[in-house]
Amino acid sequence: MNGQGTKTFVVTRFDPDRDEAPRTQEYEVPVREDWKVLDALNYIKDELDPTLSHRWSCRMAVCGSCGMQVNGEPKLTCKTALREYGDRVEVGPLANFPVVRDLVIEMEGFLERLKAVKPWIIQAKEAAVIEGTNRQTPEQLAEFKQYSMCINCMLCYAACPVVANEPDFLGPAALALGHRYNQDSRDDGDSERHEVFRGDGGVFACSFANECSEVCPKNVDPSKAIQQAKLLNVLDWARSFVVPRGGR
Amino acid sequence: MSLRARVDAMKGSAPPRTRTADPAPPRNFPFRGNYLPYVAFGSCGILLFAVGFGLLRLVWVLGDGDATRWKAIFESYRHPLYIVFHAFALVALTWFTFRFFRLFPKTQPPKLGPLPRPPDAVFLIGLGAAFTVSTLLVGLVLGGALP
Amino acid sequence: MRTLMLKLEPVVWGLFGAGMFVAGLLYPAFLLVATLMQPLGVLAPDALSFERAHALAAHPIGRVVLAAAVAFPLWAGAHHVRHVNIDFGGIGRDAWFGALCYALALVGSVAAVLAVARL
Repeated sequence: MNGQGTKTFVVTRFDPDRDEAPRTQEYEVPVREDWKVLDALNYIKDELDPTLSHRWSCRMAVCGSCGMQVNGEPKLTCKTALREYGDRVEVGPLANFPVVRDLVIEMEGFLERLKAVKPWIIQAKEAAVIEGTNRQTPEQLAEFKQYSMCINCMLCYAACPVVANEPDFLGPAALALGHRYNQDSRDDGDSERHEVFRGDGGVFACSFANECSEVCPKNVDPSKAIQQAKLLNVLDWARSFVVPRGGR
Repeated sequence: MSLRARVDAMKGSAPPRTRTADPAPPRNFPFRGNYLPYVAFGSCGILLFAVGFGLLRLVWVLGDGDATRWKAIFESYRHPLYIVFHAFALVALTWFTFRFFRLFPKTQPPKLGPLPRPPDAVFLIGLGAAFTVSTLLVGLVLGGALP
Repeated sequence: MRTLMLKLEPVVWGLFGAGMFVAGLLYPAFLLVATLMQPLGVLAPDALSFERAHALAAHPIGRVVLAAAVAFPLWAGAHHVRHVNIDFGGIGRDAWFGALCYALALVGSVAAVLAVARL
């Protein structure tokens, strides 16, 4: 029975003060036809077991906090309808991240990776205020808009086999974000970012599994961004031999 | 089966404020969903090595001017194991090529020099045409119909 | 070693892409005709006789195509095999395993150029 009724939730639990390693706990939840996975987790927290810890906020796939593994797949739980699942639903913390508690992962490493790609506009020369605003045509905007839709939910990191194996890999969201600024017509920081991109754990560590793009709930397509960044990186690298860089 | 994730995957530079559990790996890697074709695609690298070095051996024998050895190599290709291997390599590398072509448009930036990037279909048609022409040409030349 | 491989990554990646292209365009036809149809007797018996094969290969176009057909796909193979190793938890041995993959490709590429030069 997939609509109204009861489903068993197998939830990963981890209490750093008491558990050696994560364990699972089962909950019987009376679910409603229109519930998302997150609704069931909130039901468990409110009605069955107040010790369960999970992150969530907006319930509308914008804040990016409720990413978890649902039956082994990274999902935004607020966007994942329960009726798609059978009578047993497994919910665990995102793969490839250290686990702080229950379904809550440690995201410090992710935030550092975001910062590493210099995700801000770098201008060769700061324009005077009197020169007015930076203008951008719709065509110029279209070149990077897709990559700016990321909500930092980290599902792509949980899906990526390279993240699991290369501890220095900057990962899909961060690299796509760097590429987004490189594609921005107002930005002159390409070469700086390309240096980062060719460093350890940069774009070339990606082996194009494409899973990041498969699981992305906002269709950002990080793998597209990374592959394009590879080609642009090779061109930038070749150019660096022809035109020596100024010390900006 | 699942491979393990490294314990230091996605770790920050500073130690976490509380004790953390080790990262879980993406479940069922590499035997689930999209991981399988991805790993098979990568593993075709072994076939590229095998066919590349096999071809090198043929060219080398041609350079030796040793017609008997040349004949003997093609005789040996009649062995069932060789037939099975070559048939497998043919199927695998053809699949490999098509997967590569399907992924190819993604690797092209939105602007190629001053030109805007053509739609994906243009890439796919072009790659398909290149594959057809080249396969026909190589086939006819090796088959003795050309030149 | 990893530092060196990291430095050369843009070059290797270029060779890797070229290798997939070359292999994709040439290998299916080569495998079908030369390693299956010919031994199975589907073709005219002298289509790949030593004399004809040598004449084809020694033609300037033949030399270029053959050198490319060997060298580039080896780089594609090396890069793929290296990354499969990493995906199966082999980053710890990547310093020597990756280097070994690329060394094989390098040796093969040099041999390919030699092989067509001595035709």
